[in-house]
Amino acid sequence: MTGSRRRTLMAGVALILMTNAVALGGAAYNRSGQPEAVLSLTQRELQLPYAWGGKGENSELALGLQWRTLGMESDNLDNLSMPYLSIGGAPDWLDKTKLAALGFDVSLPEDTDAGRRHYDKLLSREVLLVLEMNGPAYRRALERTREHSVREQALPGAHRGGKEFEQRAQRASEQLKREEQDNSRLFVIDAGVDAAALRRQYPDNQHYAIVRGQIRPRLSTRQKQTRLSGYISDLSNSHINVPLDYHGIFGLAGSERSDNVRYVVSVAFGKRLEPWITAATDK
Amino acid sequence: MNPLSRKAAQDRADEIHVFQRELQRLEQAQVLTLDAQQRRAVTDHHQAVLAGYAASFDIDRDVRAKQLSLGMRVASFLGALALAASVFFLFYQFWGRLPTPAQVVILLSAALATFAATVWMQGRDETGYFTKLAAMVAFACFVLNIAMLGQIFNITPSDKALLPWAAFALLLAYTCDLRLLLAAGILCLIAYLSSRTGTWSGMYWLYFGERPENFFPAAVAMLVIPQIIRHERYTGFGTIYRVFGLLTLFLPMLVLANWGQVSYLNADVDVIEGLYQVLGFAGSAAAIWVGARRHWPDMVNTGVTFFVIFLYTKFFDWWWEIMPKYLFFLVLGLTAVLFLVVMRRLRATGDTLPGGETAA
Repeated sequence: MTGSRRRTLMAGVALILMTNAVALGGAAYNRSGQPEAVLSLTQRELQLPYAWGGKGENSELALGLQWRTLGMESDNLDNLSMPYLSIGGAPDWLDKTKLAALGFDVSLPEDTDAGRRHYDKLLSREVLLVLEMNGPAYRRALERTREHSVREQALPGAHRGGKEFEQRAQRASEQLKREEQDNSRLFVIDAGVDAAALRRQYPDNQHYAIVRGQIRPRLSTRQKQTRLSGYISDLSNSHINVPLDYHGIFGLAGSERSDNVRYVVSVAFGKRLEPWITAATDK
Repeated sequence: MNPLSRKAAQDRADEIHVFQRELQRLEQAQVLTLDAQQRRAVTDHHQAVLAGYAASFDIDRDVRAKQLSLGMRVASFLGALALAASVFFLFYQFWGRLPTPAQVVILLSAALATFAATVWMQGRDETGYFTKLAAMVAFACFVLNIAMLGQIFNITPSDKALLPWAAFALLLAYTCDLRLLLAAGILCLIAYLSSRTGTWSGMYWLYFGERPENFFPAAVAMLVIPQIIRHERYTGFGTIYRVFGLLTLFLPMLVLANWGQVSYLNADVDVIEGLYQVLGFAGSAAAIWVGARRHWPDMVNTGVTFFVIFLYTKFFDWWWEIMPKYLFFLVLGLTAVLFLVVMRRLRATGDTLPGGETAA
């Protein structure tokens, strides 16, 4: 082997080893010591992929984190009760003041042309988000759904003969059932840029986890008033890989995916706020 | 003097063949006649040169060999892409059935083994076709290696992964003289530089494509690199840098010239679109001029393509709605004729210019 090829070989091997060392070292650092938070999640919060167990060409199993946000009281309840909400959300706490605290330039008034142009151009930033598991935000969502259901159940009586009202009552009843039994109880309830400060504010690390995610400002118009608010686009780690040891819990490979699979998964969040599964059992 | 690259050797061999044909014509026209000793000396010299090149660079010694080489290049390119895809899907098919330590060991071993195999093959494959296949598989394995580690350990996605990928592709490209790997490395570099530019404004790196201006620093870098680093030893590397540089410059300009609202500039959309239309025309005209001056046909062709696209886009905006279609296409055709006339004059001017720099 010539000197030139030997040098190339050494350089390439060094590059591969160094890159692997950085990636694996980072993962080891994340999982070292006590986890930053450990949440106990179920099939309501961690969704199986649709192709799992089917004839797909990817044998990987990763569970999708199902997170939600609690919107304003006046929001359409249909939105609140949808089980597949982890595609973005605009919570009521993510207002102009919070956006400023997250580093967005909110100095321009939103009801001017210059302001609208400015806010339309602002793009997503990566910030820290606080996930709350089965806490006040979920209880408030459940309460809202119950109140809505009570109101809708009263409609057929008040409007005799109205088929539409019977359907609305039935839909509200189904929404309540989904909210009680199926919908995710994992809510994004706050955001910040300092993990230590957020942890001081939410010290219970069995119910509150800090994760990375993206927020984008957006303008909305309510009652002829333009309002600046934030929109949570996604979590940076929205899927959690399932090691082979736990695959059996989520159904045997080759079988069709079942919506009736019930499980409890313990998810730890480490020093770099990256999640991993520490235990999983079926119910 | 020995040429530095296969391309230079091939160019010299082609010149020898042209010389032989022209000598034959001159002799037939009785303009020049070599005596037997001179003829033998020239023939022996050329045969020795061609034999040396064939041994060192596996050049095409005649037209038939050249045609076959083209077919082999196409097969090698498609094969490289297909093999890389095959490795990718092979791993996806089975990796979920392996425990985590086995996944890590296989990913690392595959990257190391395919890289070592590429270096080994490079010493034995004079044609370079099999080296290209091996290098592409090695690159796919390394990309897979890092991407899969990210998935296995739920590592937060980062643009920093693009840097080692770029370094690895460039290492393979420069070691094995492979344009395909150079293109892969350049694409990784462009993505990395553009995402870094985007993060300066605070945006999340993955959204760098939403502001086309993020690509401009990368475009400048790609155009400057072949001016700083000489590529005489490599086949067409300077061309690839220049073409990618121009694409990275003009494609975002084209987007901004038509959708000004995606610009960083906080101005009226019409003003932004007008600004980038002017920059697009000026930039592509400048590319044609520089390319003609420095004898870079790749730059001229890319400049001409974008100039025409910018022009036709404007024509469409101005006249598609208001003109009868026959008139619209007549205007396009006449513009093409006018363009041909201008280019012919430019070519004539270029012929009279003192020799510019040849392709780097």
